[in-house]
Amino acid sequence: MEVNYIFEGLKIMLLGMGTVFSFLVIMIVMMNIMSKIVHRFFPEPNDVDNNTSPAMDNNAKKVAAITAAIMHHRQVK
Amino acid sequence: MKSLVLKLFAIVLFSISLHASAAHEPAAGAEASSTFKEETYKPQTLGEMTVGFLKSTGVYAIISPDPDEVNSHGEAMSDFHKSWGRVLMILITFVLFYLAIAKGYEPLLLLPIAFGGLLANIPVANIAGPHGFLGVIYNMGLANEMFPIIIFMGVGAMTDFGPLLSNPKTALLGGAAQFGIFGTLVGAVALSQYTDMFSFTLQQAAAISIIGGADGPTSIFIATKLAPELLGAIAVASYSYMALVPIIQPPIMKALTNDDERKIKMVTLRHVSRLEKLVFPVMVLSLAIMVLPDSTPLIGAFMFGNFLKESGVVERLSDTLQNALINIVTIFLGLGVGSKLAADQFLVIDTLAILVLGLTAFSVGTAAGVIMAKIMNKFPGTKVNPLIGSAGVSAVPMAARVSNKVGMEYDRSNMLLMHAMGPNVAGVIGSAVAAGVMISIFGK
Repeated sequence: MEVNYIFEGLKIMLLGMGTVFSFLVIMIVMMNIMSKIVHRFFPEPNDVDNNTSPAMDNNAKKVAAITAAIMHHRQVK
Repeated sequence: MKSLVLKLFAIVLFSISLHASAAHEPAAGAEASSTFKEETYKPQTLGEMTVGFLKSTGVYAIISPDPDEVNSHGEAMSDFHKSWGRVLMILITFVLFYLAIAKGYEPLLLLPIAFGGLLANIPVANIAGPHGFLGVIYNMGLANEMFPIIIFMGVGAMTDFGPLLSNPKTALLGGAAQFGIFGTLVGAVALSQYTDMFSFTLQQAAAISIIGGADGPTSIFIATKLAPELLGAIAVASYSYMALVPIIQPPIMKALTNDDERKIKMVTLRHVSRLEKLVFPVMVLSLAIMVLPDSTPLIGAFMFGNFLKESGVVERLSDTLQNALINIVTIFLGLGVGSKLAADQFLVIDTLAILVLGLTAFSVGTAAGVIMAKIMNKFPGTKVNPLIGSAGVSAVPMAARVSNKVGMEYDRSNMLLMHAMGPNVAGVIGSAVAAGVMISIFGK
């Protein structure tokens, strides 16, 4: 029997592109879910540090400056 | 004490006599070797010796080829392939040297491949034969698909999935670009159906069309599995087109987009946490295990390399994968592929078809990626610059750089590089999945 190879090729194309796209679509969905879970339950400590530490630094500096000013004021008195 | 020495002496004597009698037993073998010895030690006049030596020179081998010479598969070769074909192939390797050194086309691979080709075409020495060193390298790591897998580990260790994780939907672009593979598969079978010149089997057509994935190791992996006889041409086509990405892609990208689309600015990528990057390789591998185990050799090796890198605790191993190991294997891979540039395997009409089909596959893949980006822009949501669609072919990171360069031509401030890396690495996964599909259909 004569096999129509072009038809075979088209079938493989359909199956192949279908698999590639389903794989990637599932991957995208899983990526989104995974990101949500990670951000909800395991927020990165670095982020927190980055947000808080400069503020703390600022506070510390302010406190130091105020203390210095008070000390200076007292000494001058 | 004395008796012990005597006993030992007796044993030694006994074993010697046994050996002697054993040596006498295979009479035929002994006879053959004795005639062989006679031939070797036959006294020659200086004239005979000179003629004998001249007959073993390369010039003589090219002018009047040995009629009994066989190729590395033990098949007879035509006179052309034994004589001037070799000279032609050696000249072709010189052109490859030029392209690699003067033009800088993928020199890391093109140089070893070209030099391997040069060595494989030397007459008499038979370097690419089963006992020549190129043949040994080929059997060591290419015939069993080892080298492409190790390269994949190294590429995995060099890959950063951050851009993909921060904009997951760009993975679709990497999927669309695989259309180049399957479209060309149909093209290749059509070519062999309607012309008498080419007769590719479905396996061969599949191996050729993988060039469209623009992924060297994957091409070599599939070619050695499905059509080892075409490996040389497929590898050379694959790496040449990867090197030619900056020349092939821009015209296609420009033809398919208008000015406004090329100037689309994409939103800045969000920060991706370390845990996300660490979970991602395992997640993709698990998906591959469930959906398509045939793709796991490639995806598994890739994700192994990436996992080592992202784990952050095995700096030494990840460093070895990215540098020392991938360099060593690249040398062997190049030489092994080069051994398939022997005249009798490369100078055939099929090579021409492979080069043309490979280019088609590559261009179709580029176009499909760009068109996919335009389709995605039809849907609500953040817009995608279609120029990053072309990066869906997996040539990492060249294709992404091309997207960036073309984007900058139209808007100096539009940095597309990181956005293009997403589809680029998704393209690697996509072509590994496409390869898995081919294996599941034809392989085993």
